Amino acid sequence: MESDYVIIGGGVVGLSVAWGLLRRGRSVTVIDGDDGSFRASRGNFGLVWVQSKGMKQPQYARWSQTSAAMWADFAAELGDNTGHTVPLEQKGGYDLHFSEETLHATIDTYETLKTQLDGNYPYDVLGHNALRKEEPHIGPKVVGAILHHQDGHANPLKLLMALATDVRKMGGQVLTGQTVVDVAKPDTFRVTCKDGLTLCADKVVLSAGLGAMQLGPRMGFKAPIRPQRGQVLITEKLPKLINRPSLIARQVDEGGIQIGATNEEVGMDDRVTQPAVSALAGEAIAAYPALARAQLVRSWGALRVLSPDGLPIYQESADMPGAYLVTCHSGITLAAAHARLLPDWLERADIAPNLEVFSENRFDFS
Amino acid sequence: MQKPDLVIVGAGPAGMAAANQAAELGLKVCILDEQSNPGGQIYRDVDRVAPIRGDALGADYTYGTRLTDKLHHANIVHMSGATVWAIEKGFCVSYTQNGRGAQIIADHILLATGALERPMPIPGWTLPGVMTAGAGQILLKQSGVVAQNAVLVGSGPLLYLIACQMLRAGSAPKALIETQTGADTRAALRHLPRALQGWPYLVKGLKMLAAIRRAGVPRYQGTASVSITGTDHVEAVHFMHKGRTKSISCDTVFMHHGVVPNTQAARSLGIAHHWHNAQQAFVPKLDEWGHSDFAGVFIAGDSAGIGGAKTAEAYGKLTALKIAEMTGRLTVGERDRKASPIQRSLSHELAARPFLDTAYPPFNAALTPSDNTLICRCEEVTAGDIRRYTKLGCTGPNQAKAFGRAGMGPCQGRYCGLTVTTLIAKETGQSPDTTGYYRIRPPLKPVTLGEIAAMDITTDESPQ
Repeated sequence: MESDYVIIGGGVVGLSVAWGLLRRGRSVTVIDGDDGSFRASRGNFGLVWVQSKGMKQPQYARWSQTSAAMWADFAAELGDNTGHTVPLEQKGGYDLHFSEETLHATIDTYETLKTQLDGNYPYDVLGHNALRKEEPHIGPKVVGAILHHQDGHANPLKLLMALATDVRKMGGQVLTGQTVVDVAKPDTFRVTCKDGLTLCADKVVLSAGLGAMQLGPRMGFKAPIRPQRGQVLITEKLPKLINRPSLIARQVDEGGIQIGATNEEVGMDDRVTQPAVSALAGEAIAAYPALARAQLVRSWGALRVLSPDGLPIYQESADMPGAYLVTCHSGITLAAAHARLLPDWLERADIAPNLEVFSENRFDFS
Repeated sequence: MQKPDLVIVGAGPAGMAAANQAAELGLKVCILDEQSNPGGQIYRDVDRVAPIRGDALGADYTYGTRLTDKLHHANIVHMSGATVWAIEKGFCVSYTQNGRGAQIIADHILLATGALERPMPIPGWTLPGVMTAGAGQILLKQSGVVAQNAVLVGSGPLLYLIACQMLRAGSAPKALIETQTGADTRAALRHLPRALQGWPYLVKGLKMLAAIRRAGVPRYQGTASVSITGTDHVEAVHFMHKGRTKSISCDTVFMHHGVVPNTQAARSLGIAHHWHNAQQAFVPKLDEWGHSDFAGVFIAGDSAGIGGAKTAEAYGKLTALKIAEMTGRLTVGERDRKASPIQRSLSHELAARPFLDTAYPPFNAALTPSDNTLICRCEEVTAGDIRRYTKLGCTGPNQAKAFGRAGMGPCQGRYCGLTVTTLIAKETGQSPDTTGYYRIRPPLKPVTLGEIAAMDITTDESPQ
């Protein structure tokens, strides 16, 4: 089989890129894993989020803002093409605070960033009473919140399904249940799977999440990524309780309250633990006391795909020109940018975004 | 509470027998059960009900008091109304009781979580008035409620049992619409010689069939295209019988086509399972003592593979003997000497099983339902949806769950899991083993956030 691009990894990142390339008329083959693969696309929190990102690298804040701004149009197009609506709400999101100190410290860093972004960082600080007008169920322990107007949330599973549907509709080949064992470039690229299947392509995109830890170095990338576990809870479906999302809790379009998330350095272990579940439940109840009576129906652990500084990596291989590493931990937020802008960069178009700050050069020791 | 030697989840026949055997051998046992009274499903609430409705429910039911009596032992702490929602390595067993979360730690754990009725997704099965035969039995056992104008649909001895219990309670079912075929009966005959070693079961079966015949309850065997209709409540059952379409009006439908192991707790620990073709279900991989591939975790009773109450009791005892040997209460020789009569009785108990499994297979049309039939009631997902997700590249139930929410609701896939695996396996041509099962996560049963947040460790505190 031969195509313009082979994309290794059929999660939200890989499918977003595939979707964008197909729209430009490229032929694309996506190689995806099996039912038991670690899948950040299936376990994430679903925020389309701007605030707190890029505090040390304003370009990352800009990239997130760019994607968030394109999201509604991207979701609408996916919905029109596939008949699968991708629920999205972008009316702002909160950073909730339980102490004045942390609230003010955060405001200070946001002000610095706002200057670096030429003032494009629209947020308001809400004291407890102002917050309670917006969120009647907020608890007395919450002293205030930062309401950032560029934040929102989506249904990440519906996004995944819409992408999987539309990529196929546009003629993309998606091979599931596969594991890539080798990538070589004798002339064109040859990507070999475990079952012996070999695919040829002019270019290869490695968007295999944590799978890039093994494959990356063999394709000439540093791929300095690591897993970080996040445990997440979801309750039974409830009447409207939370208006806007926060990192602590959001009410999903189906009605359940999703509660997140831990940050644990435990390697490739995606299990759920009682202490974490209890701590998450406790924090959510502190924010929204009515949640104490809500039934938990499900919890899960999923592994974030993190680079050392938390930023995405977009890198072309020096050893294998035409091979690209695309990896990030914010695949939902960045989906629109990956679908609409990243193909220009892969195609070396004149209008391609400048992604130099996201190259692997930043990990060089000097 | 002092750290127990053994924590048992479930106070049905396997759990109760294991608790008693282990306690007799000096082990400290804690048995956690979500019911308010011991007995499991088969002996549900037997201490309270046997004196008032024992006659209608029969001697096989009242036998349960012999097991519940034995829970009164100095080495046994029986925690009723305790819902286990997480089990982690260690083993930390998290549960809630009376609205309060707590945890018990033990080196050995026995999962005796029993069976679930195999759901029977046929057109109309979600209408009010349609329930599983087991749910009908619960009404009869606990509340003495006997359905009027009821039809029984499906296959298997439990259908005959509930029919007889209804007859004795004075309300005959209107008809038995049975899905096993003549071919099934003929195939079962080759297992008959072995089944004769378990002849008391066959005699009981024949007696039940004779009682149903005497009462004049019509039996339609080898039925096909079974569907249920009604506007907002069941009104009739329709089916094909001997080439003709028939309809029977009714107010209640009891459905049953076998039971399957409840493997959720074992799955949550990552214990290996394999597909049991005759029982069309996953069963955990265990050694002869019920020890799983997760050292220290044992499984006995129907949750280890369907065998019925007496088999469950025997395996519960064997598990207890093995744990007693592992903890130095018995030598290997003593263990084997005590085990040998139990193992002999097991071969008699299990003798009729291949015959019954073959004579009463699950209803094929409900294993791979038609496209419009709901298979996940919690999230309203149809069989056609699952087939569509397979075409979208889903190779297993976890991808299908992400696409369509099947298995995400309050039951966490307990009821739709096997159907989803079977549908995907059929579509992809993979085996059920390759297709796999849902990744099971806590909570094993719904629990409130408040209970979880207030979780405390009670290893040094009396639970009573």
